[in-house]
Amino acid sequence: MNRLWITLASVSLLVALLAAAWTYARSPQPVALTPSLTGQTEYCLTCHGDLPEISSSHPVNIFGCVSCHGGERLALDADLAHSTMRGGRNPSGLTVVKASCGGDLCHSGVPSEDRDHIQRVLTSLQSTYAGAISQVLYTYGAQPDLTARYGIFALQAEQISSSNSLSSLTTFDPGSFSNAPILNFAENCLNCHLSSDPLPGEVYARFSGCAACHTPTSGEDLNQEFHQLTTAIPYNQCDTCHNRGNYDLREMEFRPRNDQPEDRLHDYYQPIAQFTQCEWELDCVDCHTRKEAMGDGNLYSNQGQVEYVRCYTCHGTLNQPPLTRTITDPNDIALRQAFLNPVVDLQQGDNILVTEKDEPLWNIRQQPDGSFELVAKVNGTKYPLPLVTGSACKQKPDQQESKYCHACHAVER
Amino acid sequence: MPATPSSDKKSDLNRRDFLSLLSKTLIAVSGMLGLGGVLRFFTAPAEEPPQTRFDLGPAVNYPMGSRTFINREQAVILHSPQGFLALSTVCPHLGCLVNPDQDGFACPCHGSRYDKNGKVMRGPSKQDLNELRLEENPSGELIIYTD
Repeated sequence: MNRLWITLASVSLLVALLAAAWTYARSPQPVALTPSLTGQTEYCLTCHGDLPEISSSHPVNIFGCVSCHGGERLALDADLAHSTMRGGRNPSGLTVVKASCGGDLCHSGVPSEDRDHIQRVLTSLQSTYAGAISQVLYTYGAQPDLTARYGIFALQAEQISSSNSLSSLTTFDPGSFSNAPILNFAENCLNCHLSSDPLPGEVYARFSGCAACHTPTSGEDLNQEFHQLTTAIPYNQCDTCHNRGNYDLREMEFRPRNDQPEDRLHDYYQPIAQFTQCEWELDCVDCHTRKEAMGDGNLYSNQGQVEYVRCYTCHGTLNQPPLTRTITDPNDIALRQAFLNPVVDLQQGDNILVTEKDEPLWNIRQQPDGSFELVAKVNGTKYPLPLVTGSACKQKPDQQESKYCHACHAVER
Repeated sequence: MPATPSSDKKSDLNRRDFLSLLSKTLIAVSGMLGLGGVLRFFTAPAEEPPQTRFDLGPAVNYPMGSRTFINREQAVILHSPQGFLALSTVCPHLGCLVNPDQDGFACPCHGSRYDKNGKVMRGPSKQDLNELRLEENPSGELIIYTD
């Protein structure tokens, strides 16, 4: 009997060893990478060596994969390797972004060095959705005014540098409301903030978190591989949330656009309102600044409280030319922005436009003859910038809202 | 007629002996395979420590005023009237390799700029390029240490 057991055990051991040897022989030959930033070898490229570099600022031989994505760096089994990844295939989701993209030298540094991207993004209305929530709660009598009290997540302001800024937001919990429209709003309308999944359909295709804007996906199938980060964000990426439909405030349902735009003019905006050529021919990022889109660190109740680029920001008024700044500091944020998207060879000594909050419009530079030229951030197209100052414009000094400019300059549609 | 060994005589290996031999063989093979695996585990070659001392050849190969990039060592050798200077080409910000430009060196990843002597001119880096130990041995060859 003992002999039989010994025989069975030895056969089992032999089979196990052969199986192990077979498995080992079939496993892929590991491709090792030791990124200089971590100095820790990782084997992700064994399977993912065909992915393009995500951006020139994040070369894989410096950053590797694990710094941003997490995961088991030495595993050769796909399930094990992916088991501890941050945010699945998107490490920029707001719940994991600090671990993935943060760090003093990366994207959660100090404001004085303009490295507080993550802190600011968390406060932006695109993250908190506080404007839409407060609007609906006010409309349906659940709060007495339009001051925001709730956000997608609770947040304490780290700074209050605006008269409109709030000290905190509480998590919007639909369960604490009984009003049917508010419940419908929570059910049907929370699709376009940075923590939400997109609506189904390729025109809405976007990721969440930073990648919602910085990884162009519009019109694509989200199931395919994407590995790109860019600051040259095309307008249709913004359109994955903006200009794709309306929320019906009576039914509290999303109503997709039903027009069939055949050109960019009609695709850019819904068939409402009036727009000038620059508003539809340029991309959103050509005019809207990073703090306007990504937050400035303050918690606001609505986008109206956030600085907007106005017509006069670029074109000036009859009496006042646009604000400008000569770049003297080698560490001027404008130089850094131009480096990341080198459509303009910006140099110290160049004169660029700035907003009233001194945010640079680094892609609008004064030319040797005194005129200004805008370079489109996405495709590099150059546009001469006409100024109101010194022109025959009949505007009244106190009428600077866009509707007055549209009265003469709107494009026929 | 004397009896002769029959040609159809059955083998001496009876069933019991056969099984015994089989089990011993299996145990021996399994043991050897297992032992082989263990030996392989313990005798796997250890990774060699990275080389940190490099012979750069005759100093005369680096003429006055030259700026020579040594890719393998991630260094640049500068020869000025003050003598030889070796700088690491690894950007102290996040570790990208700097490239030469008209003013000195530029980081292709995040835009840090350094002058011709490796002093930081523009961020995001806050540090100069690291200076590396460089020696000229008695036979006139430059030796660089990257540790």
